[in-house]
Amino acid sequence: MSRKVAIIGVGNSKFGVRDDALLQEIAFEAVKEALEDAGITQKEIELSVVGSVGTRMYEALPAVPVNEYAGFSGVGPIRVEAACATGSAAVFTAYNAIASGYVDVAIAIGVEKMCEVDTPTSTAVGGRGGNYLWEFHMFGTSFACYYAFYATAHMNKFGTTEEQLAMVAVKNHKYASMNPKAHFQREIKLEDALKSRIICWPLKLYDCCPISDGAAAAILASEDKVKEFRIEDPVWIAGIGYASDTSNIVRRPDYVGLSATVKAANMAYKKAGVEPKDVEVAEVHDCFTIAEIMAYEDLGFCKKGEGGKLIEEGQTYIGGRIPVNVDGGLKAKGHPLGATGVSMIYELTRQLRNEGGKRQVPLKKYIALAHNIGGTGHYGYVTILRR
Amino acid sequence: MSDAKKIENPTIMSRKLLFLHKIPILKTKKFWDGLKEGKIYATRCRKCGQTYYPPQADCSKCLASDMEYFEVANEGEIVTFVASYLVPQGFENYQIPYIIAIVKTSNELKLMGFVEGIDYKNIKVGMKVKITTKIQSDGFPAIIFIPC
Repeated sequence: MSRKVAIIGVGNSKFGVRDDALLQEIAFEAVKEALEDAGITQKEIELSVVGSVGTRMYEALPAVPVNEYAGFSGVGPIRVEAACATGSAAVFTAYNAIASGYVDVAIAIGVEKMCEVDTPTSTAVGGRGGNYLWEFHMFGTSFACYYAFYATAHMNKFGTTEEQLAMVAVKNHKYASMNPKAHFQREIKLEDALKSRIICWPLKLYDCCPISDGAAAAILASEDKVKEFRIEDPVWIAGIGYASDTSNIVRRPDYVGLSATVKAANMAYKKAGVEPKDVEVAEVHDCFTIAEIMAYEDLGFCKKGEGGKLIEEGQTYIGGRIPVNVDGGLKAKGHPLGATGVSMIYELTRQLRNEGGKRQVPLKKYIALAHNIGGTGHYGYVTILRR
Repeated sequence: MSDAKKIENPTIMSRKLLFLHKIPILKTKKFWDGLKEGKIYATRCRKCGQTYYPPQADCSKCLASDMEYFEVANEGEIVTFVASYLVPQGFENYQIPYIIAIVKTSNELKLMGFVEGIDYKNIKVGMKVKITTKIQSDGFPAIIFIPC
């Protein structure tokens, strides 16, 4: 019988080009905020889990300096990697350690420095994820290419338009402009997005998330510790689903959705005992605008093929049927790989506590969902929170 | 995307580190040799019949290691495609945009390759292509799709 696990503290560094700080220094910002938020010190942490992809960095063991600098020597680190879903894998690892009864308090730290190498290097490292030998080696497939394959197929099958893709960017920039921790701090117009240069057709500059540095942290605790720390009414992890898909993209049946999303979502919904219609606020994996549209469909927020219509109707804005990425999303808040999944938990925890400020989503059921994909559906995590 | 103001903070350069890997191809050598002769090989498990493209020596399904090679059909149709203006490190000599497509062959396998001889604006999903191979000017092999 697994134990209940609460989120008792969250922290998030400023995302962006952080040439003012080292890896461990930005992780420190997130850890300090999370500890202060929980009202505890490092002494209470029994396990530290550090999520960092690390493939763009000069430090071969990123978890080690991160852990020491945050004051957790001796309690971990367990280092985890699940590409762009690394942060969710870190949360899942910390969750399991508590649910199983192995420890009572654990921290999940997600951190990535991506801006220290040039763009061609970053593009090559990202493109190598999946199955290098049969894809990148011969064809130089960047990550934008992978999602562009899905965009072309989705547009062809369902009539999804470039305008609908651009609408996702407009929404996410709007919320990023209201989030001081986001990489981009300005709104964009639909015309700007449509006129932006082609990165990998059909994806244009504004369809793509930036290359960012950043960190986030979440402190998880057992029910006993929640009582001991006298934390009233915390956010609980209601269910986590995980899945994967083929490493070779050519071995998939189609390119209009991610089966890893569907499988992980079904598992999380079942574990949490909720349905898509119960979700009141969601963080979805919008590394590219097409990814957000596919996520609407694959998570069950609309029917397959109607994701474009959902954004066109404004249903994923605050006040709509299902507000999505109201912190700016990967698209405009930024996507420091290891940090992203933990940052989703940061945002949703604050939303569920009604601490969203100008970006607060009105809640009745207090059910939130985080959807985090690694690679092009090579890893998939869906985490459901409730309060 | 550039922000209006970019303040550069003090930094120092790391030590240089260059990676070049020797990749073992013993178990799929027929595929790599085939590319030089215009042939593309997939494998089929002699025990359970599962087919694999890209080819592999071991069967992920039944765990046997007894594969036979067969040639992929030389025609297919485009399932999806992209036109990339990005130049990842290692592809500096490639002309942009380069068009990459996923093509489904008449023997129900899907392949990735470069599309040549057409502007990407004129490509449509479902378009029929001839499938061939070539050795690029930098010595790397590639699979090439040419619209019929």
